[in-house]
Amino acid sequence: MSETLSSPLSPAAGDGPAASAPLTLSMQGALNRALGEVLEDNPKALIFGEDVGRLGGVFRITDGLQARFGAERVFDTPLAESGILGMSVGLAMAGFHPIPEVQFDGFAYPAVNQIVSQIGRMNYRSRGALPMPVTLRVPSFGGIRAPELHGESLESLFVHVPGLKVVSPADPHQAYHLLRLAGSMPDPVIFMEPKARYWQKGPVDPADAGALEGARIARPGRHLTLIAWGAMVARCLQVAELAAEDGIEVEVLDLRWLSPIDADGLAESASRTRRAVVVHEAPRSSGLGAEIAALVTERCFNTLKAPVERVTGFDVPYPSGDLEDEYIPNIDRILFGIQRVLEHRRG
Amino acid sequence: MAELSFPLPDLGEGLIEATILEWLVAEGDQVERNQPLVEVETTKSAVELPSPQAGTVVKVHGEAGSVIAVGDPLIVFEVPDDTAGIVGTVPAEKAPARRVRLSAVLDDD
Amino acid sequence: MGRHRDHLVEGSDPQLSVALHPPASDAGLRPVLLLHGFASSTKLNWADTGWIRFLNEAGRAVLTVDLPGHGASAAPEARDSYSPSRIRADVLQVLQDHHVVPLREGVPASGVDIIGYSLGSRLAWEFGATQPELVHRMVLGGPGSGDPLAEFDLAAAQDLLAEGTPIQDPRTAELMRMARLVPTNDVFALLTMVEAVKDEPFIPAEAVPRMPLLLVAGENDDLAATAQELADLAPHAELLKLPARTHANAVTSRAFKAAAVAFLSA
Repeated sequence: MSETLSSPLSPAAGDGPAASAPLTLSMQGALNRALGEVLEDNPKALIFGEDVGRLGGVFRITDGLQARFGAERVFDTPLAESGILGMSVGLAMAGFHPIPEVQFDGFAYPAVNQIVSQIGRMNYRSRGALPMPVTLRVPSFGGIRAPELHGESLESLFVHVPGLKVVSPADPHQAYHLLRLAGSMPDPVIFMEPKARYWQKGPVDPADAGALEGARIARPGRHLTLIAWGAMVARCLQVAELAAEDGIEVEVLDLRWLSPIDADGLAESASRTRRAVVVHEAPRSSGLGAEIAALVTERCFNTLKAPVERVTGFDVPYPSGDLEDEYIPNIDRILFGIQRVLEHRRG
Repeated sequence: MAELSFPLPDLGEGLIEATILEWLVAEGDQVERNQPLVEVETTKSAVELPSPQAGTVVKVHGEAGSVIAVGDPLIVFEVPDDTAGIVGTVPAEKAPARRVRLSAVLDDD
Repeated sequence: MGRHRDHLVEGSDPQLSVALHPPASDAGLRPVLLLHGFASSTKLNWADTGWIRFLNEAGRAVLTVDLPGHGASAAPEARDSYSPSRIRADVLQVLQDHHVVPLREGVPASGVDIIGYSLGSRLAWEFGATQPELVHRMVLGGPGSGDPLAEFDLAAAQDLLAEGTPIQDPRTAELMRMARLVPTNDVFALLTMVEAVKDEPFIPAEAVPRMPLLLVAGENDDLAATAQELADLAPHAELLKLPARTHANAVTSRAFKAAAVAFLSA
């Protein structure tokens, strides 16, 4: 993996009493723990959003934090995302580190103005005088049978905005360390939490972050690279397991950082396996898969055995809960995508 | 397990408090979402409050005749850690199922 | 649902808000008609208090109607629209529209059960007395042999609205307070109803319902202090007193609901 991030990286491993045995946490628990530590480490860090205070968040991510840090640092806001992000701009200018929550992906739309025209470019506009250390948490993607505007994949929207960093964790360990890192960065970070993975438990080693920059090989393999992020990583790991039964060794690349994207990491893996399939929930057209296909093709054109295949959602509004299994790439659709790449012969 | 506390909700029309008439659940009860929890009376009317949450009742605040202010604690639930959020459901963890098999000639590398 | 379209019992469409609330699992019994009190509504008297849910969970289909000038019903100008006799005729039309058929021996779905509260109990008393072939049993909440609306000091209420002059009569003052607390209430329509009720005051001995009745009142319900006198008029009436409850808060009582469901299922 390459050094693609300009910001302070791994919080010093093994510092203080946190250095203990690995824990077993749900992603909810891992994020909650990370937020508590970010608030402890930085007295200027503030958490706010709809229902994050008294209720502890609709997904319990901020549970107990208001009781622990007080209502001046963890507080509820009106139901107005433009206000939540507008306030973040002012607080960041005044030297705070806002950690706002937009309760659901689809609720970020009313705040696009604040995110794009202020947060993303204030540092540039002020020639560095007004950095925007805003860590915007967005419960993202589908898979929980929620109503409209609660299952959107907004990564293409945000990665297209210069000045924003965009990251999405795939498991509790990644969630814990990436949020601690994002919460200490001087730049705005859109932190896309895969809500379908909130409840799954996994090991979290607070003392050993591992490398946090760029993409991560979640499973090594030599025949094909399967590229994913967020909730799709777990599904791709299942696919890799099934492919192994058929004699195909699939490498799963967890992209993690969607912006800045780890072009070197993508090229390194794809040039080894010579085949690549990218999987995402967002609609296909102009989705992040298109950018990844372009990057891999530019860097690996002569070694690739087939065009990069995309397995994605459809070019329709995200459907209601009872149809989402038809929309989100499932195991068979991903296997079909792999098969198409395997079958490709240069004419 | 986690504890979830709910305050007396805003009952509308500027009402600032309510008097407990009768609890319909007791500590230790398992309740479903929307199950009636308690009868309360305001200066406007008497109402039954439905439960915002499924779970085990850990504590109820106040008894018949107690006056509770809007926003003050009313009831505490114990809920399993994998309880769904207020919106949506917890995805079921199931063994991966497939219909597609891969076949490839990989020896032409 | 349930807008009157044709074959009206009375001449003009009263534009009452009528709703049928079917149970998830139907016990196969006749529907239960709910009649709310003065200055209340289906929502306040029966929905927010948990009655519709409780009856539905007992397998009973529930039919609700907002009285004229109340809830989601229209508030006509004409005083006649609010007279108890006109309301009884409109209720009869509502039952016909919902295919309520006369009681038949051995047909548990025939006829209708009625639960009333306060003014709704007065209307039910008269309706049951005049429609014995339709009404199976009735539960009358917060009932009395007197008529608080007939004693209502209309002039004082109008002075309050016009000049802000405080009302001297405590019952009139309380009814006005209740009427004005609910922002959706049309206070002028309610006063028109009071005028109409004064024209047709409640005289319970004039027409007595002969089907089984359950009268329910809070122990501290001033307006229902005469409930026993009412019970004594009817041939098959029993009276249930709810400890510590008042006219305002007896309506949510779990004991009230449980007794009503048991009584109507018999």
